[in-house]
Amino acid sequence: MRALVLRRLLTAIPTLLLVLLASFALMRFAPGGPFDGERPLAPETRAALEAAYGLNLPMGEQFALFLQRTLTGDFGPSLVYRDFTVTQLIADSLPVSLTLGGLAILLALVLGLAAGMVAALRPGGWADETLMLVATIVTALPSFVTGPLLALIFGLWLGLLPVGGLGDGLLSAPQYWIMPVIALALPVAGAIAKLARAGLAAALAQEHIRTARARGLGTGAIIARHALRPALVPVVSYLGPAAAGLLTGAVVIETVFALPGLGRYFVQGALNRDYPLIMAVILLYAALIIAFNLIADLLYGWLDPRSRA
Amino acid sequence: MSLYRLDAMGVTIDGRDLVRGVSLEIAPGECVALAGASGSGKSLTSLTPFGLSAGTITGSAMLEGQELAGLDEADLRKVRRASVGFVFQQPLTALTPHRTAAQHLTESAMQAGGARPDRNTLVAMLDAVGLADPAIKLRRYPHQLSGGERQRLMIACAIAHRPKLLIADEPVSALDAHLRAEIMALLTRLRRETGMGLLLVSHDLASLEHHADRVLVMQGGQVVEAGAAQAIARAPQHAYSQALWAATPSLNAALPDDLHVPGAPLVEAQDLTVRFAGNGLFTRPVIAVDAVDLTVHQGEAVALIGGSGSGKSTIGRAIAGLGPVSAGAMLWKGAPLPARRSREQRRMIQPVFQDPVASLDPRWRVSDIIAEPLVHLRPDLTSWGRAGLVKKALQMVELDGALADRTPAGLSGGQAQRVAIARALVAEPQMLVLDEATSALDPLVAVQIVALLKRLQRDQGIAMLVITHDLALAAQFCHRAAVLEAGRIVEQGPMAQLIAEPQAAMTIKLVAAS
Repeated sequence: MRALVLRRLLTAIPTLLLVLLASFALMRFAPGGPFDGERPLAPETRAALEAAYGLNLPMGEQFALFLQRTLTGDFGPSLVYRDFTVTQLIADSLPVSLTLGGLAILLALVLGLAAGMVAALRPGGWADETLMLVATIVTALPSFVTGPLLALIFGLWLGLLPVGGLGDGLLSAPQYWIMPVIALALPVAGAIAKLARAGLAAALAQEHIRTARARGLGTGAIIARHALRPALVPVVSYLGPAAAGLLTGAVVIETVFALPGLGRYFVQGALNRDYPLIMAVILLYAALIIAFNLIADLLYGWLDPRSRA
Repeated sequence: MSLYRLDAMGVTIDGRDLVRGVSLEIAPGECVALAGASGSGKSLTSLTPFGLSAGTITGSAMLEGQELAGLDEADLRKVRRASVGFVFQQPLTALTPHRTAAQHLTESAMQAGGARPDRNTLVAMLDAVGLADPAIKLRRYPHQLSGGERQRLMIACAIAHRPKLLIADEPVSALDAHLRAEIMALLTRLRRETGMGLLLVSHDLASLEHHADRVLVMQGGQVVEAGAAQAIARAPQHAYSQALWAATPSLNAALPDDLHVPGAPLVEAQDLTVRFAGNGLFTRPVIAVDAVDLTVHQGEAVALIGGSGSGKSTIGRAIAGLGPVSAGAMLWKGAPLPARRSREQRRMIQPVFQDPVASLDPRWRVSDIIAEPLVHLRPDLTSWGRAGLVKKALQMVELDGALADRTPAGLSGGQAQRVAIARALVAEPQMLVLDEATSALDPLVAVQIVALLKRLQRDQGIAMLVITHDLALAAQFCHRAAVLEAGRIVEQGPMAQLIAEPQAAMTIKLVAAS
């Protein structure tokens, strides 16, 4: 297992380099630049700006400079939010996105696993049919529908919950988190419910379940000790990569509920050609994807010892 | 007083009577065996009274004076938990893959309300079933144990709560031949020591004479013959019992004297070595086949005998050109065979695999399956020419031409294996590589396939490499045998000599077990 972790960390380096190089090239070859506004800038102003941010250097040198800075943890100043460094922007917004995504993953796991288990116990029963129908619906509903719908019902009509913002601090007022977390969690919960149901139904059809039944174990013990772990394998393969996306900013939910998270920087950074900002977000996202895939692979080894090399 | 008693018991699934009128009685310490081909209802008879099959029972099943018929799942669960242990056929799939030996044993020891066993108790439990290095084996997962070790663990679990009755459903049929006798002896010793009754389901008829007190022979859901094990084994009365007994290969039978006379060397493997790279940076490669020399002459049948993991299938695949070769030379009629073989060279050696149903594409018609090799190996043929050869191949394997339009799903196991053999024969090869070609089949069907192979060998002079774990089966139609252990040939020679004077320890074990 130590070998697996070591190997993954070593291969992560070229992977990240490749991702950075590709996104750097893509961005630079896309038309437009950070200083293209409604009114064209005077040529000398533009030249001065480009010189100030090092954009007049040859491309290779720019990339090398970027890498060098990245290694020291300095992504430089944002080209659009001119008074902030990229590190500051991320430090302010990442905790919001991590909280939102983390809570949503937890809720989705609880809801999805519970629904999947109940459904798998009696395949074809009324609970199974109802739960899977609900799961399909919430998976199919996009969050730009559920988000505003929740805000409309519980925020505006019933007046129970605030429709947006964060209050004073990150976790000062839990009621601000309820709707965004639910809206973000629902489609994930639906997907987990379907995967958990299929996984558990397959696990319960295995021959070793008959051995467990032969020991006179009850349904609860059979699921907990003999069926749950293999049933979680598909859930982990789905959630591993999905978690990286959820934690680095759910753009739609953050926009709908006016949460100052990372997601909007991702979109705006790309639209504004804010090169340092977008590169930093991409690096973060890629590193998280690699990390979560590694975690998923370590989990596979625990869920099914046969998959350990 | 009887421990377990079935009285005119039947099994119904969805309104169909699959087992009818079975009566038997087991006293403490006794072993009663149910014998029969698959589909005869012996597994249903053994498992259904305890709620472990999809069926329900009619008639009466009494365990220690308690009537099992009509009990609901909750009550049956109590019965299983308290008084019955179960051993299943395939220990690899019957044990939970993510639980260690210690976890399996602990759960079993506590199922009847026993205290949580400490480490010493667990070690003693594994020791009692003859597992070597029990302290180390406790930490192992099922897939890290060998086949025999897994079945010993399965037995240790089944008796951990000291059941009165042990149900063993084909406990040895998935094991290598030389392990079967050991596991059967273990079961016999345990029931004598603990006084538990044993209901044994088996088609390994040869061993029943020594390990069972009484035998019930089942066919089509009914008992056709019942009596003392020794009496039935020595003189079966019913025609079906006789056929079943005759189908069990035994070394006591005379070796055939009408085999085809072998000619010049056909295939020679010299110093054949196959290594599999470990799948990590830090793992060492596995040597599956270690410098093996093997020759098959024209018209000769050579058996490659060994336990699972001995490398026999790897050798077969290398010779058929289907698997990797790491080092060594391969000759065909004295000329070297290149790593990438020509169409003509591939045509000469054709494989037949173990599981006929799994190795045939379920969506193809039989005639297309058989014709497929011709499309690739004989591009010179017209579709008429192909149809002619398909017809001829069907005749060679004695299959009804009407089956040609069916898909594999519409075939029995024996018919499917005949199709697989016809597929191998259709391109008119000079040699077949048969990898456990009968071990997935029922004994009654296997004996017919063996007869077919023997006829093909004798009349057509087709050379064969017969990969098997069953020495007695190979003895019926092979000239020579090579015994493999851990990737090396430990002994090779004419069949008669190998059986009469085995030299290597592995061969002695195999001869003793057959």
